[in-house]
Amino acid sequence: MLQFILSGIAIGAVYGLIGMALAISFYVTRVINFAQGQIMMIAMMITATATAAGLPTAVALVLGILSAVIVAVLSYYIAVKPILAFNRFSFGWLVSTLGFAVIVENGAAYVWGPTSRPFPQMLNGLSLHLGNAVLTGQQVLSIAVALLLAAFFELVRKRTLFGKLGVAIAADPEMASAVGANTSLVAVVAFAISGVFAGIAGVLIGPDTFANPYLGHTYGIFGFIAMMIGGGTERPVAAMFGGLLLGVLGEGANALIDSQASDWFPFVVLVIILVVTPRGLFSGGGLWERAWRRALPARREAA
Amino acid sequence: MMSAAEPALQIAALSAGYGRFDVIHDISLRVAKGEAVALLGPNGAGKTTVLRSIMGLIKNRRGSIVVGKTDVSGLPAYRIASGHAAIAPEGRRLFTDLSVEDNLVLGALRLRRDKRRVQALLDSVYELFPVLRTYRKRRSSFLSGGEQQMVAIGRMLMSDPELLLLDEPSIALSPVAVDLVAKALLELRRKGASLLLVEQRVDIAVAVCDRLYIMRHGEIVEETTATMAREDGFNMIEKYLG
Repeated sequence: MLQFILSGIAIGAVYGLIGMALAISFYVTRVINFAQGQIMMIAMMITATATAAGLPTAVALVLGILSAVIVAVLSYYIAVKPILAFNRFSFGWLVSTLGFAVIVENGAAYVWGPTSRPFPQMLNGLSLHLGNAVLTGQQVLSIAVALLLAAFFELVRKRTLFGKLGVAIAADPEMASAVGANTSLVAVVAFAISGVFAGIAGVLIGPDTFANPYLGHTYGIFGFIAMMIGGGTERPVAAMFGGLLLGVLGEGANALIDSQASDWFPFVVLVIILVVTPRGLFSGGGLWERAWRRALPARREAA
Repeated sequence: MMSAAEPALQIAALSAGYGRFDVIHDISLRVAKGEAVALLGPNGAGKTTVLRSIMGLIKNRRGSIVVGKTDVSGLPAYRIASGHAAIAPEGRRLFTDLSVEDNLVLGALRLRRDKRRVQALLDSVYELFPVLRTYRKRRSSFLSGGEQQMVAIGRMLMSDPELLLLDEPSIALSPVAVDLVAKALLELRRKGASLLLVEQRVDIAVAVCDRLYIMRHGEIVEETTATMAREDGFNMIEKYLG
């Protein structure tokens, strides 16, 4: 029991990072970037290639994350900006970001071939024992980095002028531009930040999965589910909680139902959660906050 | 006398609208520096569209808009907001997830590197509306309509612009709040602000402004002064407003 919870949290932290990457770009542009998984994949492929070329692991990791940032910004300029310029409320981005994802994925398969490439191991041989359960050093690193990044992001969003500008743009982009916000520039920055999150997710999961051009698809979908069940569309950090929950549910399903149950079980949970609380579990008006308000009625007064 | 003064706003032959349709046609108007001008007219006359065009929130198809000495036609809204003009829009449109003070500080986005100036502007807004200082940490969605309108006006003032645009600041407010807003507008005038006010209530427009333009069906149909409107017993205005 403890083992699958801990393993679930470790993999869930990575889903959470991709969920947050999706949520951050959505937050500012109201666009779901369906290429997010492929952006993560690029970080893995570049890191693997740089390591194979003999570069030190740290340099390879930085290059990997940087390449994810570049591809994320490119996805904005190629698949998002022209669509929004034509009509801010159109859904053309559904097709254009999916198209961008297909191009990146097949381009990567063309360049690197369809087989997996070795990925540099970090924290090799370290492990953490908790009762009967064991976490590898890599898993501990994933959890620590993901939670720190999520906390840092929330701090920036709540405490800095840039973060508050993001909140303003999310609520009313037109009014934000009328107070002087260059909303296009903020959108580019948001896509770059989402690239950082996706890139870090990639290099955290790489040692377990190795680098493969087709990995982006699966992780992109799990990141999307993390965002939706968490309620990340309204509050990006909620996608991290969604990811952790998804990871635990997936590992739990594998352990308790069937070894392949993590392929379908999360979708069942997604549908149930969206029926019960359509805004996600941890969003502003989500189930979690409503329960919390009921338990502490004085909290609203204090605010 | 006023028309000879340096202009704060000069609009010439402006046409603009949404989609393929022009909402306003061939609008020309002028606000001198330190002058307050009202745009009156029935619902749907295109008053809000004029303000949105000045602010760069819709693209003008023909004509020119000059604020101070800068031709702002074609500039994106965020450039126009950088000291040329600022708006307190219809419906207030506060950033409701943020506190009163955060809303105000975002209004001063262009001055963000000059912390002292932002603080001075913040103090002047709190002086104009002392109640906002008391509620500065409160989420703006928890304020009354009148208080929210004060935040909207305060946010507009925070960029210290050449031209103030106000869209129906008295709408849906209690009589006490309307009074407070009108007094604040008079105070801004006393300090020499140039403003263009869209208003349904003729009494407020006449009390605050020097000159009035009347719009109908997207065109300016009449121009008069507040003094002349008063002398005429508002007959001419009422003819147009129905």
